[in-house]
Amino acid sequence: MGDSIWQSMEKKGYSRRDFLQFCVAAATVAGLGRTGAAQVASVFEKKEKPAVIWMHFQECTCCSESFIRASHPIVVDALLDVLSLNYTETLMAASGFQAEKSLNDTIKNNKGKYIVLVEGAVPTKDGGVYCMIGGKTAEQILQTVAADAAAIVAWGSCASNGCVQAAKPNPTGATPIHKLVNKPVINVPGCPPIADVMMSVVTHLLVLGQVPELDSLGRPKEFYGRRVHDTCYRRANYDAGLFVESWDDENARKGYCLYKMGCRGPVTYNACSVVKWNEGTSYPIQSGHGCIGCSEEGFWDNGPFYQHLPSFPGFGIESTADTVGTIVGAATLAGVAAHAVVTNIRKHKVIAEVHAEEEKES
Amino acid sequence: MTRVVVDPVTRIEGHLRIEAVVENGVITDAFSAGTMIRGLEKILIGRDPRDAWAITERVCGVCTTVHALASVRSVEDAIGVAVPQTAELIRNIMMATLYVQDHVVHFYHLHALDWVDIVAALKADPKKAAELAQSFSKWDKNTTAYFTDVQKKIKQFADSGLGIFANGYWGHPAYKLPPEVNLIGVAHYLDALEWQKEVVKIHAVFGGKNPHPNYLVGGVPCSIDTDEVAAINSERLNLVSRLISQADEFVNEVYIPDLLAVASFYKDWSKYGGGLSNYLSYGEYPTKGYGNPQSFKYARGAVLGRDLSTVHPVNPRDEQEIKEYIAHSWYEYDGGNDKGLHPWAGETNIKYTGPTPPFETLEGHDKYSFLKTPRWKDNPMEVGPLARLLVSYAAGHTDVKETVGMVLGKLNVPVDALFSTLGRTAARGIDAALAMGWLKEFFGELMDRVKTRETSTFNREKWEPKTWPEDCEGVGLVEAPRGSLAHYVKIHKGAIANYQLVVPTTWNGSPRDAKMQRSAFEASLIGTPVAKLDEPVEILRTIHSFDPCLACSVH
Amino acid sequence: MSTANIQPGNAVPTNGTHGVEYRRVYVWQLPVRFYHWINAVALVLLCVTGYLIGAPIRAFYAAEAYQQYWFGTVRFIHFVSAFVYVFNFAARIYWGFVGNKYAQWTTFLPFKKWQREEIVDVIKTDVLQTKMHGAISTGHNSLAAFIYFLTFLVFCFQTITGFALYSSMSTSWLPRMFTWIVPLMGGEFGVRFWHHLFLWFFVCFTIVHVYLAFYHDYIEGRGTISSIVGGWKFDRVKGDDK
Ligand code: HEM
Ligand code: HEM
Ligand code: NFV
Ligand code: SF4
Ligand code: SF4
Ligand code: F3S
Ligand SMILES: [Mg+2]
Repeated sequence: MGDSIWQSMEKKGYSRRDFLQFCVAAATVAGLGRTGAAQVASVFEKKEKPAVIWMHFQECTCCSESFIRASHPIVVDALLDVLSLNYTETLMAASGFQAEKSLNDTIKNNKGKYIVLVEGAVPTKDGGVYCMIGGKTAEQILQTVAADAAAIVAWGSCASNGCVQAAKPNPTGATPIHKLVNKPVINVPGCPPIADVMMSVVTHLLVLGQVPELDSLGRPKEFYGRRVHDTCYRRANYDAGLFVESWDDENARKGYCLYKMGCRGPVTYNACSVVKWNEGTSYPIQSGHGCIGCSEEGFWDNGPFYQHLPSFPGFGIESTADTVGTIVGAATLAGVAAHAVVTNIRKHKVIAEVHAEEEKES
Repeated sequence: MTRVVVDPVTRIEGHLRIEAVVENGVITDAFSAGTMIRGLEKILIGRDPRDAWAITERVCGVCTTVHALASVRSVEDAIGVAVPQTAELIRNIMMATLYVQDHVVHFYHLHALDWVDIVAALKADPKKAAELAQSFSKWDKNTTAYFTDVQKKIKQFADSGLGIFANGYWGHPAYKLPPEVNLIGVAHYLDALEWQKEVVKIHAVFGGKNPHPNYLVGGVPCSIDTDEVAAINSERLNLVSRLISQADEFVNEVYIPDLLAVASFYKDWSKYGGGLSNYLSYGEYPTKGYGNPQSFKYARGAVLGRDLSTVHPVNPRDEQEIKEYIAHSWYEYDGGNDKGLHPWAGETNIKYTGPTPPFETLEGHDKYSFLKTPRWKDNPMEVGPLARLLVSYAAGHTDVKETVGMVLGKLNVPVDALFSTLGRTAARGIDAALAMGWLKEFFGELMDRVKTRETSTFNREKWEPKTWPEDCEGVGLVEAPRGSLAHYVKIHKGAIANYQLVVPTTWNGSPRDAKMQRSAFEASLIGTPVAKLDEPVEILRTIHSFDPCLACSVH
Repeated sequence: MSTANIQPGNAVPTNGTHGVEYRRVYVWQLPVRFYHWINAVALVLLCVTGYLIGAPIRAFYAAEAYQQYWFGTVRFIHFVSAFVYVFNFAARIYWGFVGNKYAQWTTFLPFKKWQREEIVDVIKTDVLQTKMHGAISTGHNSLAAFIYFLTFLVFCFQTITGFALYSSMSTSWLPRMFTWIVPLMGGEFGVRFWHHLFLWFFVCFTIVHVYLAFYHDYIEGRGTISSIVGGWKFDRVKGDDK
């Protein structure tokens, strides 16, 4: 048990030279560049394949699905060579009692050393009964696994900001992980996050043994430092004011900007327009639909998705701040106009009086 | 008498708990409980119906797209808009792609380990494995070197702790495969994991990403134009075409041969797990518009009592046909808990009454699941690949009959063998093979339309909510990979007034109804032998044969 | 303060005829007038460009993106105006401490009882158009002043949200100081929503403000409008209206 990565490669018949080359590749993946390779090599030589626990709470499992779409490294290699994924309900062989044993053994044997990846939000209403596994609540399980974890990663919008189940009125009290554990949490939002972003966060942690630099929301700057809009290839059309006006119109075919179709790219921090999806195949905008802001907190409540602004509460589904503003502005104008009319009527009276007086005097 | 509890049931989507009563080594009663709920039906209320596809798509990332499709269909039905044929073809292509990807992943990554013993694969002779594999498949990867390499990898892996394969029921007497077949299974497990990320690129091309590609009420969001670099053009179509050929090879040279090879060693499992005898299918793959179910590749209808001579018509709008019960579920109905409600009148008042966690058992609790219990004309129905094959078989669809016949012939078993755990697993393979064929067909048609420039992908007539009636209601039906899926929507003044999802795994995995009729999971477990109470691999086999998705079932 | 009874229509600033005498008072110093008009122009530009940013019109179409940059220009004007407006406002705040008594920051808040009474009087005059009892201050009347104070708060809010939005497009220190606002308001979408909503405050303010400036010019009859150009107002020193 517990081979270092170098040992496990050596057993497979890799040479020292192969190993160093692998380190260069890993360092490049981790964003270190060639100069970082020496550092990576030392990390690999010392470290055992790290134990990883993947928890599933209130989720749709598309974060897991996304993860297995990773292309560099592909997930098979990651599973066999890079990490020891000891618990994930979606893929693990063991069920029931044996699955719980895998979980407990991992915690017991790797105190302070294992990494917890959490997919899904945790319901906190009514004692947490809205997500139970093995008769325990998600919250109880989360606290147990988090207690001795070396690092916690919140996968996807569910775990990092609550996502769809936390949308109004949040019937189950769905709560993101960082609000429940008193440890720093690496948030990797997105619904789901991009496969290769997920894989890179894992390799950053495991290969470098370092937490990637995070922003104030706990997101790796590497992937969440820019808005989709900042690097979108349709940006030139945005600046030129060339917009799609209706789905599948001439402008849509020309690839004009989707801003007027409600694109949330300008308010969404994610790597889609650079890393793209499915090994660089496309991303939402490239396939004609605006960004819906899936990596932003509360994005579900910012609908309708096809308007630039959200609907204004109490004014119907299609209303926006502009609807309300126009009504209020028009009312103001009308008020002012009415006031002016009244003033002028009075003014006429006064002028007449003054005239009369003047005539009397002269 | 022992109560065997399996929780978590793994290698499924979501949180499922099975409690089975075993007497003399045979299951005599079973309880299936879904233990996670998000309340999406409540969250949908008041929102723009055009956003509903995105919200409901997040019901599940495994069968990603099916809820989006059901949702846009339901809204289109309500507001009365038909989508252009090109958009319909793209939707079909997305759907068939999902069938293929989802079934392959289910077979290898969720189901195979119930039949394939990873540890036993270490004893195999790679050369023999290669010979065997070559005897039933033309796949050029199946060489001695390849199997040697895989075996080495697994050996290393086993030495370093087995990771996700740790604590499996390895060595259990129920595993019957020769070492070589185990090795082939493991090798293809790894290959399938690598391949599945390729085929979904088709979703990325048309929908921008996978999981959770984009949909649109009134069509699809992508535009086609072979004169434009930013639209679906010949480069994009070439990519799709290549992915389709690759998928075709994987399904026909890897998945189906492996399925047949493994199944031939487990023919005794055609005696277990049959469960219900009623089957429901909404039909799928419109060829002349969604409004024209006669044109569907899979037929709409119901088969009752395994009587394949009659297909009963199914009308989802009829208030007496589809109803959901909550007699044993953690909900309340305003009009009384023994009532069944048609989904347009459906209610989602969550009310947990189970034991306070942590708990050991749900025994003694009248209500024991977050799944509602759907019924068709008060009958429990099985849904899924098996059900839709049977309905189409009974309806006389020739391509379905031929493929079913071919597989049964190769396995040398009668049609009755389908009514079982093994039958369900085989049916899923047949389902994938059919979808693979149709995928090629739809793509061909799409290419024809590109040639003739009939490429409109969106109908803008009813896009603006002001063109909608003040009150309207719609239903969207889909045959999802796991079975019959329905979304029911009511719209009032442009906003969602009620939204109910009746989902495949809700049909199959629900608790019993007010009349104590069991649903498919529970019914199919009864009569299944369990050799070792602490290693109930048999329970997993039958439950996995349904490919449960609990996030779907509860939502 | 004179206690003359002002009536609508007494807009005849002459000596003799009615026995009313006025004295010239230099109320708005040059910096205040500069501030006012720079602010007015910047805000009109901000409102127009801001509205366009939120709802681009279809006016200009080119075959290719490289052929034009109108939307970028609109945004550019918004940002330039924003900086002008912010520094201009900062200058005004400074002037609130060093300027004359009409410009002092204390006039904007109704600390004193007479100010509060004046507010009531002005509301009666403006809204109910009743006769005005008691005179109106020579500088801002107390209601106007207080409303300007509220407006200054909105100025601050709009500046904060504006810079918060700008921070993601800028590396310079001033906007970067506002990055922390974004998560506080639930992400950039929330910030944009509020920033956009307050556009309508400015529209309404301008309508009412400009109207009232003319209205008071008329009822007070002492050169309100010209004062914001030339700086002088007229204070009644003697006489009474009939
Ligand atoms: C005070 C009067 C102001 C008004 C009425 C105003 C109005 C607006 C409006 C209506 C928008 C469009 C928002 C949307 O719908 O997305 C906008 C955008 C914006 N405003 Fe302002 N704004 C004002 C001041 C400022 C200031 C002081 C700044 C500071 C730099 C600023 C920076 C921005 C930025 C960065 C945007 C987003 C532009 C883009 O991303 O294209 N604004 N403004
Ligand atoms: C035709 C256009 C305008 C005219 C004639 C005008 C006139 C005036 C006058 C006469 C005053 C002094 C009020 C008093 O006696 O209390 C004033 C003050 C003020 N106006 Fe305007 N105004 C105009 C446009 C605007 C606009 C567009 C804005 C901004 C939205 C604005 C903002 C202000 C502010 C903030 C003050 C207070 C000045 C200070 O003491 O710092 N004005 N304006
Ligand atoms: N049950 C189910 Fe689904 C499917 N197929 C949906 O409708 O899996 Ni997530
Ligand atoms: S974040 Fe989105 S993709 Fe991930 S589990 Fe949640 S709903 Fe699914
Ligand atoms: S399509 Fe969206 S992200 Fe791209 S430039 Fe336009 S608004 Fe920005
Ligand atoms: S919707 Fe999500 S996938 Fe990217 S383009 Fe927008 S963040
Ligand atoms: Mg439902």
